[in-house]
Amino acid sequence: MSHPHSHSIYLSEVPVRKPKVMGNSLLRKIQRACRMSLAEPDLGLNLDIADYINEKQGAAPRDAAIAIAKLINNRESHVAIFALSLLDVLVKNCGYPFHLQISRKEFLNELVKRFPGHPPLRYSKIQRLILTAIEEWYQTICKHSSYKNDMGYIRDMHRLLKYKGYAFPKISDSDLAVLKPSHQLKTASEIQKEQEISQAAKLEELIRRGKPEDLREANKLMKIMAGFKEDNAVQAKQAISSELSKLKRKADLLNEMLGSNDSQNWDNETTQELHSALRLAQPKFQKIIEEEQEDDALVQDLLKFNDTVNQLLEKFSLLKNGDSSAASQIHPTHVSAPLQQSSGALTNEINLIDFNDLDETPSQGNANTNGANTSTGAETSVNDLLGDLTDLSISNTPSANQTFFGLGGDIALGSSQPAPPITTTQNTDNNLDLLGFSSPQQPTNSQTLNGNGIDLLSGFSAVPTTTAAPTRTLVNESSNLKVEFEISRESASVIRIKSFFTNLSSSPISNVVFLLAVPKSMTLKLQPQSGNFMAASAQDGITQEGIIENVPVNPSKALKVKWKVTYSVNSSQADETAVFTLPNV
Amino acid sequence: MGNSISRALGRLFGSKEMKILMLGLDKAGKTTILYKLKLNKIKTSTPTVGFNVETVTYKNVKFNMWDVGGQQRLRPLWRHYFPATTALIFVIDSNARERMEEAKEELYSIIGEKEMENVVLLVWANKQDLKHAMKPQEVSDFLELEKNLKNQPWCVIGSNALSGQGLVEGLSWISNNTNVPKK
Repeated sequence: MSHPHSHSIYLSEVPVRKPKVMGNSLLRKIQRACRMSLAEPDLGLNLDIADYINEKQGAAPRDAAIAIAKLINNRESHVAIFALSLLDVLVKNCGYPFHLQISRKEFLNELVKRFPGHPPLRYSKIQRLILTAIEEWYQTICKHSSYKNDMGYIRDMHRLLKYKGYAFPKISDSDLAVLKPSHQLKTASEIQKEQEISQAAKLEELIRRGKPEDLREANKLMKIMAGFKEDNAVQAKQAISSELSKLKRKADLLNEMLGSNDSQNWDNETTQELHSALRLAQPKFQKIIEEEQEDDALVQDLLKFNDTVNQLLEKFSLLKNGDSSAASQIHPTHVSAPLQQSSGALTNEINLIDFNDLDETPSQGNANTNGANTSTGAETSVNDLLGDLTDLSISNTPSANQTFFGLGGDIALGSSQPAPPITTTQNTDNNLDLLGFSSPQQPTNSQTLNGNGIDLLSGFSAVPTTTAAPTRTLVNESSNLKVEFEISRESASVIRIKSFFTNLSSSPISNVVFLLAVPKSMTLKLQPQSGNFMAASAQDGITQEGIIENVPVNPSKALKVKWKVTYSVNSSQADETAVFTLPNV
Repeated sequence: MGNSISRALGRLFGSKEMKILMLGLDKAGKTTILYKLKLNKIKTSTPTVGFNVETVTYKNVKFNMWDVGGQQRLRPLWRHYFPATTALIFVIDSNARERMEEAKEELYSIIGEKEMENVVLLVWANKQDLKHAMKPQEVSDFLELEKNLKNQPWCVIGSNALSGQGLVEGLSWISNNTNVPKK
């Protein structure tokens, strides 16, 4: 009998599973965070617990949720308040695995265990805090999370309380903002890592619930987790390209606003926001490039985009410092898809900033039908709830391990509801949500959605660069690196040099640092390099512009500059240096 | 209500319920064993991508048996099935001598997990019907459980899923070596 693994010693491809040491230290930490002797919530310890849960995963989110729910019902209001404050920290810091736990029926029933069937005239502080929490979740993770369909019971509990006559406090926008999804640029591996954590949390929860429909779902999920990694990779790539195209539109918008002469147009919250979005995204560029080295189109595109972002940031800070003449020298390249160019009118900018709004527009057919599905689903369950109100607390958890947890008080979600809104379609929904992020531009949209990102990017590389290039002069060519200058005279005493770096080797070149020195009588102003990384054989992978001032008009001898470039290639360090005589321009 | 009555009756008659996790390399025969126990039939099964779960009742004990696919890429997912496991059944293809080392590694990586440190371990040295199969004692020696397992009960039993030999003995051993609180 032959088997695929016929050799007896082999290294498994599977990552080494890290041992999970949980013991009771999680519960001890939670007890400590809620101990009566505290004067106020111990935020440090609360965050520590959040980190602990994020690191451990597995049963940790669930154990924490159960322990906290019990503490919330502690006789001592102090303890309950600390528990609620810990709950808040965990909801905000532990992501989907914890959200999945607070959306369990048993947890929610336990949470409102002390709520009488009819609202009291005055709410206790604890009741107020609980109502606040539920309202916050209802407004955020139930609506915006990519896994919002798993949060059905929170919606149900919200409705039930409302039906019973409880009033929810108004939550300030800034409090809501914390739980809203942040549209950050992430690398493919970060996106996949998040996906894996969420999927693992969901799988364990489904296994725990163990009802036939849960198990069917678990089986499907397991197949995805085990066999369709490629799927996840494609999704991650799509997510990157859609985030990138959003960033590009932001860049163009900022570019346009900075180009305006009216300072009101560039000195406002919008530009601040755009500026910080670009600045925050920039460090990710290199990471993405490192991960996606083999995708030359993406790398090239990112390098170009990075160039533009550098210019924009530079221009922004010049303007901030009141140096508008220097700022006007910088003309960042337009980066986003051609269609956007016409839409430059400032009236569009508000819509462009919050791309989320577009989820609501009818043009996003898929996203919209999802919404419709969930709402009807919730509606029917509400009808069931109404029928159930006479039953005080019912729960038929099949695993009798925690018999008394989540049986609820006067207000509880009944057990005769339709199955938890976790259905097979959900996974696809999640995918669609991911895709739903993508660009608000309609006509090109379909192309974006179908391709795996490369379509979109190739569109960009087709965007013509700003000016027809003047002639280039070869400065140096080694086996790894080609350096070229593009030299032009700006005015009688000013020379502009643009340097281009091309990777001639078949390995990526990183940590590129280019230094230039001019005779003392002249001044050199160098702008930052467009980057310090070049993929294998990247043509003009890095560019840099500089201006030499005080150049003699009729020099007695040719102008010489000294240059030096250091870089690493194939994990060894290299440097090249020489003196270069500038041709007459 | 009904639930608690049946629980009370169960207490009276001493029925117990436990989660059994059945793991092992691909093609060891886990799914065949599961359906032999459940249906007393040989169900030709394709490689399990995902898992099967069935309840097998034997001598008043309800075994919730989870059979999780053993292919390489499913193995990292095994750990999601660990919580609340009472007994681990590790199924070995006794005829696949060249895969013994791989099986041993996987077994130790499972029982090395904190969540599994208190489970009862049954090894089914399966496919004993094959002429060249390693005998249960050989399998046991190879796995070195004697040397490495100090705190948990373990046992290696030869089995033949086709005839059912060894299967009932296995469940019976598990039942005798677990003291799950009666529900």
